[in-house]
Amino acid sequence: MTPFESTEQAKILVVDDESRIRDACTLVLSEQGAEVATAVDGDQGVAMIQREHFDVILVDLMMPGLSGMEVLSFVREKHPHTVVIVITGYATLEHSIEAMKKGAFDFIPKPFTPDQLRTVVAKAIRYNRALQDIADTNSRLKTLVNSLIDGVLVLDRDRRVVLANPAFLHMIDYHGESVIGQRIDELPVGDTLPSMIDEALGMDSDALTELVEELSWGEGEQKRFFRTKCTPFRNRTRVNIGAIMVLNDITALKELDQLKSDFVSLVCHEVRSPMNSLMMQMQVLLDGLAGEVTEKQREILSRAMAKMGGLSDMVSELLDLSRIESGLITREKEQLDFAALLNDQVTFHRPGAAERQSSIELHVDSPLPWVFANKRGMEEVLTNLITNGIKYSPGGSTIDVTCRVENEYLHTTVADNGYGIPAEDLERIFNRFYRVKDENTRTQQGTGLGLALVKSIVESHHGIVKVDSTLGKGTTFTFLIPLNEIVSA
Amino acid sequence: MSDQQLILVVDDDTDLVEALAMKLESENFRVAKAYDGVEGFEKIKEQRPALMILDVMMPRKDGFQLCDELKNDDAYKDIPIILLTAVADAVNSTNYTHMGGKTTLADDYIPKPIDLNKLIEIVRDTI
Repeated sequence: MTPFESTEQAKILVVDDESRIRDACTLVLSEQGAEVATAVDGDQGVAMIQREHFDVILVDLMMPGLSGMEVLSFVREKHPHTVVIVITGYATLEHSIEAMKKGAFDFIPKPFTPDQLRTVVAKAIRYNRALQDIADTNSRLKTLVNSLIDGVLVLDRDRRVVLANPAFLHMIDYHGESVIGQRIDELPVGDTLPSMIDEALGMDSDALTELVEELSWGEGEQKRFFRTKCTPFRNRTRVNIGAIMVLNDITALKELDQLKSDFVSLVCHEVRSPMNSLMMQMQVLLDGLAGEVTEKQREILSRAMAKMGGLSDMVSELLDLSRIESGLITREKEQLDFAALLNDQVTFHRPGAAERQSSIELHVDSPLPWVFANKRGMEEVLTNLITNGIKYSPGGSTIDVTCRVENEYLHTTVADNGYGIPAEDLERIFNRFYRVKDENTRTQQGTGLGLALVKSIVESHHGIVKVDSTLGKGTTFTFLIPLNEIVSA
Repeated sequence: MSDQQLILVVDDDTDLVEALAMKLESENFRVAKAYDGVEGFEKIKEQRPALMILDVMMPRKDGFQLCDELKNDDAYKDIPIILLTAVADAVNSTNYTHMGGKTTLADDYIPKPIDLNKLIEIVRDTI
C-alpha cells in the first residue's frame, strides 16, 4: 500500500455510532500513515472538533443525537478548512446529494471496501492540502502587502475594493468602516485615481502598459504627493478582471527638489549678478574707457574675462540642468518644425565653425515630420553637440548633421572627424562635470555640463542619446526622439 | 552738446549702471540713471529719454512691470525699451523677445553678461 502522499501526517476524525465502522476506518487509514481519532456520536464529534483541528472528517449521516448533517453544517461554518466526507448507511441518492449541497466534499456508501475508503480519503487529503496551500499563500501575500510602506489598492472589474493595505488607508486618511466591497468613488481619493482605474480597466488585453501619474492630496503643510502606478490584471483568458494601484509617497523627494531648485535659483541670482557686473567693469577697462591699457594689462584682462565667461556659462547650465531635472522644462512642449530648427542651428553655428576654418553640413533627405518637443531644449541639444564637434576637431574639419525618420523615432546625428574620445572615457562623458582632458582638449574652455544637459533633455522627451567614437577618427552623437509622443494633461 | 540723445539706464546694480554709463558716454550718449522701477518712472517724467535700458530683476518694481506700464501708456509707449535679462534662459538663436515664459512688449533684449559692443549696436538699431 502506498501511504497518503503528504508532507505531514493527515489528521482524520471518524464519527460513527457503529464501532465496526470506527475500527475498520482506524485500521485502514492508520496503515496509510494517517493519525485517526474516533467519536461515537455527533455530540462527541463536535466537542472534539472544537478542541483540535482535523484535516478530514468522516461522518455517518444516521446517528442518535446530533445527526451527521448537523455535524456537517457545524464544520462548514466554523472550520471551512476541514474537508467532510459523509458515510451513508442507506445508499440513498437524496441524502448524498443533500450532503454535497451542504458542502460535503464527497460521500461513501456503506458497505464499502478498504480500497474505496482509501481512494476517497486520499482525494480528500489532496484537496485539503491544496486548500491549505492557497490559505498559506494568501496569508503570506496579505502579510507582505500589509507590511509594505507603499500604499496598495486592488479593485475588481466593477471598481469595488478587493484589498486596501493599511498604508493606503493612511495615505487617504481613511478611518471609517472596512473599505472592502466599497466602490472607489465612495472613497476620498479625488478624481484622478478613479479615472486611472477606468483607463486601466479599459486597456486592450494585450497591452502591457502601466499608467503612472503623480497625485496629491491635502492642502498647504498637509499636502502630500504620490507617484501612482496602475496596472490591470487579467484572468487566464486574458480578460481584465481588476486593477492594482501602488502609491509611493514622494513628498519628501518633492520637498528636497524644491529646496534644490530654490537653492540653485538663489545661487544663480546672487552669484551671477556680481559676476555680470565684474565682467562689464573689465570690459570697460579693456575698451580703454578708464584710461590707456598696456598690451600686458590687456592680455591679463582678456584672460580674466574669458575665465569669468566660463564661470558664467557654468552657472547658466547648472540652472538649466536643475530646471530640467525638476521637470519644469518638459512641460513646455509644442509642435516643432524640426527641419527649420536644424537649419537655424546650423546657420547659427557656421560663423563659429568658420573661425576654425571648419564647416557644417546638413543632410536631410526627405521632409521631416513635426515633433512634439521643447524648442529651447532641442536648440540646447543641437548647440551643445555642434559646438562640441567644432571644439574637439582640428581646424578645417567638417561637422555633419543628419536627420531621418526610422521606426517611429526621429534620428539626428552630429558627426565630426576630430580627435575622438578614448574608450575608457566614453561611458562617463554624459556625467556632470566630466571632461576628457588630453593634449588636444586641454586648452578648450568648458563646463563639463553640456553633455549632461543633452542627456537630461533627450531623456525628458523619452528619447535616447548614444555616442560612437574612434580615437583619432572622430565622434558621432545620435539622439532619438519618439514621434508618437502623446501629451498627458 | 545738446543734440546728444538721452539714454535712461535702470538697474539695481550700481556698478553695472556705472560701467554701462561709461560705455554709453564714450559713444556720445547722455545717460540718466535709476536704481529700481519706481525711480525709473520718476526719471522718465523728469526728462523724456530717447531710449531705456531696463533690468528685469529689480526691487520695488521689476523691469517687466515697468515695461508693461510704459507700453500701455499713450504718453510713453513710443520710448524704445531694451530689457536686460539675467535669467539664464535666453538661448542665443531665439530672436524674439520672449523670456522666462513671459512675452513682453519690449523692443529688444540683451542677455547678461552683456557684450557692451553688442549693446551699443542694439541701441543704435533701436533708437
